[in-house]
Amino acid sequence: MGTPGGLHSDFEALLTRFQETDSVRFEDFTALWREMKFHTIFYGRTRHMEKNKFTKEALALAWKYFLPPYTFQIRVGALYLMYGLYNTQLCQPKQKIRVCLKDWDEVMKFQQDLTNAQHYDASYILRKLRLDKAFHFTAMPKPLSYRMKKNIPRTEVTEEFKEPNDRVMKLVTADTLEEIMNIHDHYQEMKQIISADKSQPDKALSLIKDEFLVNVKNLVLEHKQWHEDKKKLLIKVKNEDDQREKEGSSQELEGSERAGALAKIKSKAYSIVTQASKSRRHRQVKLEPLESEFVKKLVKTSYNKRNKEKLESGEETSSQIKGSKQSIKKEASCLSMPVITKEEEESEVFSEMGKVEVSKNSRNFNFRDSSTSFPEHYSDILSPFCNTFTFSILYYFSINPFQISCHLKE
Amino acid sequence: MAADAVSGCVSSSGSFRFPEYEIPELNTQPFLVRAVGDLWKERLLGARDFSLEPPSPSSLDGAEAGAGEEDVAVAEDLGCSPETAAELSLVCGLDKLKYCEEEDDPEVIPEDTNLVTLGLRKRALERREETITVDRICRQETFAYEMESHAIGKKPSNPANLVNEGELILTLNIFYPVIFSKHKERKPYQTLLVLGSQKLTELRDAFCCASDLQIGGEFSNTPDQAPEHTSKDLYKSAFFYFEGTFYNDKRYPECRDLSRTVIEWSESHDRGYGKFQAAKMEDFTFNDLYIKLGFPYLYCHQGDCEHVVIITDIRLVHHDDCLDRTLYPLLTKKHWLWTRKCFVCKMYTARWVTNNDCFAPEDPCFFCDVCFRMLHYDSEGNKLGEFLAYPYVDPGTFN
Repeated sequence: MGTPGGLHSDFEALLTRFQETDSVRFEDFTALWREMKFHTIFYGRTRHMEKNKFTKEALALAWKYFLPPYTFQIRVGALYLMYGLYNTQLCQPKQKIRVCLKDWDEVMKFQQDLTNAQHYDASYILRKLRLDKAFHFTAMPKPLSYRMKKNIPRTEVTEEFKEPNDRVMKLVTADTLEEIMNIHDHYQEMKQIISADKSQPDKALSLIKDEFLVNVKNLVLEHKQWHEDKKKLLIKVKNEDDQREKEGSSQELEGSERAGALAKIKSKAYSIVTQASKSRRHRQVKLEPLESEFVKKLVKTSYNKRNKEKLESGEETSSQIKGSKQSIKKEASCLSMPVITKEEEESEVFSEMGKVEVSKNSRNFNFRDSSTSFPEHYSDILSPFCNTFTFSILYYFSINPFQISCHLKE
Repeated sequence: MAADAVSGCVSSSGSFRFPEYEIPELNTQPFLVRAVGDLWKERLLGARDFSLEPPSPSSLDGAEAGAGEEDVAVAEDLGCSPETAAELSLVCGLDKLKYCEEEDDPEVIPEDTNLVTLGLRKRALERREETITVDRICRQETFAYEMESHAIGKKPSNPANLVNEGELILTLNIFYPVIFSKHKERKPYQTLLVLGSQKLTELRDAFCCASDLQIGGEFSNTPDQAPEHTSKDLYKSAFFYFEGTFYNDKRYPECRDLSRTVIEWSESHDRGYGKFQAAKMEDFTFNDLYIKLGFPYLYCHQGDCEHVVIITDIRLVHHDDCLDRTLYPLLTKKHWLWTRKCFVCKMYTARWVTNNDCFAPEDPCFFCDVCFRMLHYDSEGNKLGEFLAYPYVDPGTFN
């Protein structure tokens, strides 16, 4: 409807900058919020009705970014944005955020993702909005009133914020793959049952290639890889800083209940080495041999805690083909595959290393925003690795050094 | 018959989950109003999400007393340690959203802003200041705002009248039956809020329409004889029409089934309207209705005074809503209708209309009470000249 002109561009400006931070931390968001003085968006000598209407529309617009098809990071950004708008609005009583029935399940899924990924700040804020009764629970997204003229405005989705998607990915989703898998298993079982030798299906029944499924999966994975590469290239042309874009938004939006079911597919998918596609040969990621005790420990504790989900979702996506901007992680895991000994920790370290390596290429960690200062006593904990590299790991994942020290002391 | 309608609806919405659009952005498919409430209640944590208690103070500012408990609750909900929870309440505090350089004034748009919205608003406000001569819009807006917000947050003096938790609030737009050419694009309407548990008859009784107040009869000989009965008292029949069912007001013996004519008409030939049902208005609450949101329905009273009714919104009641159930149906918006003024003084709203009036330049002619009497009667109250006089109730009377 008649969303006030500037709102759209202001929101997108804020969200774009948030996207560039590669972070989902509230701290980073508020830094941007303050820098842009975003609370002043409600300022000006306006009348009550205008104020209410403007606030309603602002909240409704922010809500749009909170739902799919936007990436995880944009959705977190939208959540923070709503929190900010809701609490800084000048209406009395406060205008509420409309949530319709259809969207609520999406919100719950999102909340689950936040909890799983241990993005405490985001889930804290979602919880707080609920406790503050910031929502109106409605039947439909907006009030409906029959109109004679059918000038229905088209809702546009900002491409940059969107979860990448294409038809192949729509066609072969995680669900279909899972389904095919189940059918295949069932098929094999049935064959065994009707065979003379119960342990193994009759040769005469072997009508499909056994590796058929695996091939399908590989094809799909390859397609996804190609898709990501293509997108990356595009962005690269557009924006030298492409790596940033790719990062951070890497969480998947799927419910965790699926994760279990997907684990099977995952493990199968990962038992097959996916070659880096041709277009990527020029940027093979070198893994530095750095799996020292500290890093392991680091990974196990803080990193593990905060970013486990990233990794999980990374795996999830690869089998799920729901593209997300996480090719780096993907790449890392793919590349490290050949070396992987099935161990979970190891692979985490590997992908971590790959990731850090890549990010190092693209980012300059000069601690320009030194809101997190490292106290003296860290130096002895960190001494063996007290170089920029380690800091960059820490900094990159916005790990609070305090927490690390706690974990290390434990 | 009524049961038929209900079963029909159930089977057609057997796979019902959420209200879905029938025509995108315009109206939904039919659904049971009550289901919206039930689906929400399934999904929400009652006490937390829609309890009518004010938000707990500790959740408003975590740093205050009770912060400890709050942290524990947070930790429990998020599955983190209480220390992390305490840290969170600091990190996510509202003070982080304030730009705390200098005290700024919300009335003033800051100079050094880069926000596009503010640039636009500034220009709009400047333009307004330059061009405004008569601030009529402003006055109307102020009134509309008062109308909309007058009942917000009201609590009943008697706790028994408190709106129930999890109650639904429906927003209805009831249009006026006016066919002025200036209303070609936008039909005037009033907006009422009703509770899901209220009966249709409660809305019927609360809804004001000038045609209910009309007084029939010619009173030129006895203008002082106070007419005792308005049309509402005399003609009590009325119906709502929602989704193939006519809900007739049958509370009084003299009520007639206004819908019968329509039903018979539709059945006499196969006119392609399907089978209409009739039910009693007093037997149904809004929760019991099958409706499409955003779809035009009908309220008909006084035989032929027809109002289009659109249910625009359904939501759970919120703590900030009016919580006094006696104030519902609650009028929140009213269209500003032009009133017909007295032909003589051009000041007061007309209360009489005359035909064949030897004093009047036009036929019919409208008069306010004072002018009417001065012109048509002598000081003893004797009728002068020839005319027919009828009491007149202007639709703008309720402005």
